[in-house]
Amino acid sequence: MNKPLPRRKNQRAAAIAVVVFLGFLGCAAVFATQWVWGVVTSFWDSAEPAGWESTSAELTVAVSPVMAPVLADLAEAFNEQGRRAADGQSLVVTVVAYDPEELVGAAAQSTPPFQAISPDSSLWLAQLEQRWAEGDESVSPEGGAAIPLAQRRIGTQLRYAVSPIVLAAWEDVALRLGWPDRPVSWQDVQRRATQDPNFKWSHASTRHASGLLAVLAEFYAGAGLTRGLTVAAATDPATLAYVQAVEGTVRFYGENEDQVVERLRQQGREFLDLFVAQERLVIDWNRQHPEQQLVALYPAEGTLWTDHPLALLELGQRPGEPGVTANQRQTFQSFADYLTSEPSQRQLLAAGYRPADLSIALDEPGSPFADTIRVDWRQPQTTLQMPPAEVVAVVSDFWYYTKRPTNVYLVVDTSGSMEGSKLRSTQNALKSFLEQIRGSRDRVGIVEFGSDLKSYTQLATLDDAARQQLNRQIDRMNADGGTALNDAVYAATTALQQENQADAINAVVVMTDGLENQSQRSLRDLRNLLAGTPELPIVVFTIGFGEDADTATLEEMARIGGGQYRRASEADLDELYRIISTYF
Amino acid sequence: MNRTRILFVSILAVAILIVGATLLFTDRGGGGTALTVQRPETVELRILASLPVEPWVRSAADAFNRSERTVDGVPVRVQIEAVDGLTALGRWDRNEFGALEAGQSPDSLAEAERQALDNFPVAWIPDSRYLVELANAAYKERLGRDVFLTDGEYRARPIAISLFTWGLYASRAQVLEARYGAIGWQAIHDAATAAGGWPELGGEPGWGFFKLVVPNPSRNVGGLAAMIAAAGEYYGRTDIAVEDVVNPEFQRWLKDLMGAVTDFSSSSAYTAEDFALFGYSVGDGGQLLESDLLQNMQGILTRWEDPLSLYYPEYLTWFDFPFSVWVGPETTALQKNGALEFQRFLLGDEQQSAALAYGLRPANPKIGVDANDASLFAQWADRGVLPVVPRTTAMRSPDRETLLALLRWFELNVKQ
Repeated sequence: MNKPLPRRKNQRAAAIAVVVFLGFLGCAAVFATQWVWGVVTSFWDSAEPAGWESTSAELTVAVSPVMAPVLADLAEAFNEQGRRAADGQSLVVTVVAYDPEELVGAAAQSTPPFQAISPDSSLWLAQLEQRWAEGDESVSPEGGAAIPLAQRRIGTQLRYAVSPIVLAAWEDVALRLGWPDRPVSWQDVQRRATQDPNFKWSHASTRHASGLLAVLAEFYAGAGLTRGLTVAAATDPATLAYVQAVEGTVRFYGENEDQVVERLRQQGREFLDLFVAQERLVIDWNRQHPEQQLVALYPAEGTLWTDHPLALLELGQRPGEPGVTANQRQTFQSFADYLTSEPSQRQLLAAGYRPADLSIALDEPGSPFADTIRVDWRQPQTTLQMPPAEVVAVVSDFWYYTKRPTNVYLVVDTSGSMEGSKLRSTQNALKSFLEQIRGSRDRVGIVEFGSDLKSYTQLATLDDAARQQLNRQIDRMNADGGTALNDAVYAATTALQQENQADAINAVVVMTDGLENQSQRSLRDLRNLLAGTPELPIVVFTIGFGEDADTATLEEMARIGGGQYRRASEADLDELYRIISTYF
Repeated sequence: MNRTRILFVSILAVAILIVGATLLFTDRGGGGTALTVQRPETVELRILASLPVEPWVRSAADAFNRSERTVDGVPVRVQIEAVDGLTALGRWDRNEFGALEAGQSPDSLAEAERQALDNFPVAWIPDSRYLVELANAAYKERLGRDVFLTDGEYRARPIAISLFTWGLYASRAQVLEARYGAIGWQAIHDAATAAGGWPELGGEPGWGFFKLVVPNPSRNVGGLAAMIAAAGEYYGRTDIAVEDVVNPEFQRWLKDLMGAVTDFSSSSAYTAEDFALFGYSVGDGGQLLESDLLQNMQGILTRWEDPLSLYYPEYLTWFDFPFSVWVGPETTALQKNGALEFQRFLLGDEQQSAALAYGLRPANPKIGVDANDASLFAQWADRGVLPVVPRTTAMRSPDRETLLALLRWFELNVKQ
């Protein structure tokens, strides 16, 4: 009788045990889920952002090309010290060279490939802040930010060296301009350039501080002002006419001041009478060329300073952009301390810069400023007022419409050896070049050659229709045949001579990857052709593409054409064409 | 024990084991709540210091760390980070330091998040109360409360004082004094707007126009102080309000003044250093922080051979570098007390006396500005430095709406 009861009891006990087990299992499942979720979220939270690791102590600094070699030396010495962060990471600085305008563009993008910048002038920092503000609605006072000035792209910054922008002139030229008895003004140079057809002067493009200053000074002079330049005054027809007249006398534009100096080295005293550059270039030149000295003239109306700011970017403000890590901030601070230490400051002084350390007297024994009148550490007495960013933008843009017009033929080798990726790289580079040419009076033509002239597009002003036509021609290029290099350059040069536009910059940019093997014309023919029209100088730039290019021929061609030879690979052809475009 | 009971006990044991193991892993994984609060071996204090006081505060921090102080028996170490006031303000405003949201507590954070708070700034020494006001304004929107207090134990306390002072290159100052007598905002305004520039004022033609140096208020809160001082002199009173800022006649007058600044776009947070580095070429004179001017006097003399002359304005503004302790839950009580300990150290006689070598006026009234030989006030007494400045016309700190109105006016009308 009693047997069934224990079974029921047992069954009930088993049921309770199962329920309890399931209850515990449920609790365990909840805890386990929490744990798994915790692990997942903690993994998610600690996931490395794109760009660099969250503990990285490597700081990449984008530097203007003129300062890059000096800063790279200093960075190398800094890295050799083996400084470390608290977590053991090495504090490492890498220097990469950027044109200031490119640098601003890259820094305004999300996740730039660097965390700090050192352009040649703080004016680029202002441009960057403006670009940054334009892309961020919360920055405007109306945008609703709690504080109107908080969202900035640029954080901590310092200056480690400065150099005023000067008129660099040969000593005899400086004497004729009135130095050292009286201050020489921008107007003196502009007057001389417009009155003396033999006077040769140059400034860099407005993509560099010295070029921008030179053009700004022309706008001030044209508007009859020395401060308070407005958009209205800058765009007044009389101002533009003046700037156009002065710019018409510029012999040569270049990517930066170092290129001007390189040309001086190659071509000597006859290349230019005067050019606009940083004071430190004058010091550097005079140290290397005691036989032929330059003089730094500090313009009477005022000049600008290249002040080489070193600035840390405040990254991480936009979704997905990694912020600067604590270790990178430490590297920045440590490198800043290193740059402003006395040995580094003296190294910068030796390189011709004025060090930021004010305890270093510029006229102390051994200083490049001591015992010379060709640079004057008491100068400049005054600076030109930097107008608001919108006026600077107008000045920079209007330069393209008032500068000397350009006629340029792109002579392109599409012989059989160019087949495949080489041709594709060339096509891309040619299109980039066309994009860079923005002047309303600039004209471009294309000569495509193989065993003979394959196609020829006459010079055309780059309106929309002409751009489309040139781009179509570039797309149609086909690699075959031999290399009739001389004939192609001869043809382009002849076409420019027939245009006979003496007030323009006339140039041929020729690119080849091989050896001359098909031409009827020789280099001597080309030399004679160029020499036949001294009143119409035609500049020939040559590009040797790849390892098989005939360097000797191309160098000679550039020499007789008064231009430059450059070597390029597939990786940098596009950049080289872009650089060459700054000469026009 | 029958089989069913054995089964029952076994199931129970397995269940307990499962739960136990889960709890163990959960604890190791670090999610969930903190079970114990461990006493740290060292209390680390990260303190943000504005640029004018950073060298002094860093030197004091080194001395403090060497003295091996403790709070509740735990050693304290101070780590100073130099951040210009407005950059720090921007980082507070963007919540870059990772302050918790309203209602959040450290206990609810994952381990990684909790660790991130270890580096949270315990205190901030901005240039001025203006910045504390603006930071509180930002957090008031987010949290509904102030994060830096103005009263109580943790109230922001000034640790040093520096006055805004006229600094002019001596060659230029002589010409202006001869023409206008006293140096003030109106004299500077008239010099700045002279159509003929320096030749009209009696100066050298090579000097060009009169060039004013005023910090860019978007980079250095000294620019804001200068505008407040200019407004005080324009209206002839010590308090200004929003209606004063928006007065069109005042705005025209102020814009004339700002038009004499050579380059706002390139001026950095280090305006006095810029002034020294570029010399009279970018600025004939301006109203800048006294400590910055004093620190650069020797450099200016070395680089330009034309010393600065100092003049004190009638309507005074100053920085008081308030030591502001963060009062949120992101920092521990030990850290907050450690910060107060460092604050007391800074206000002690020794460090206040050391501040004189940096051109800072002690906040501790027991220490005079000529208390030691290293004092820059003593060194440059012949250039116009006054040990005691009458403060009868000291500008009152404007409210945050007035500050924002001035900043917005600058952003819209002057900023380059």
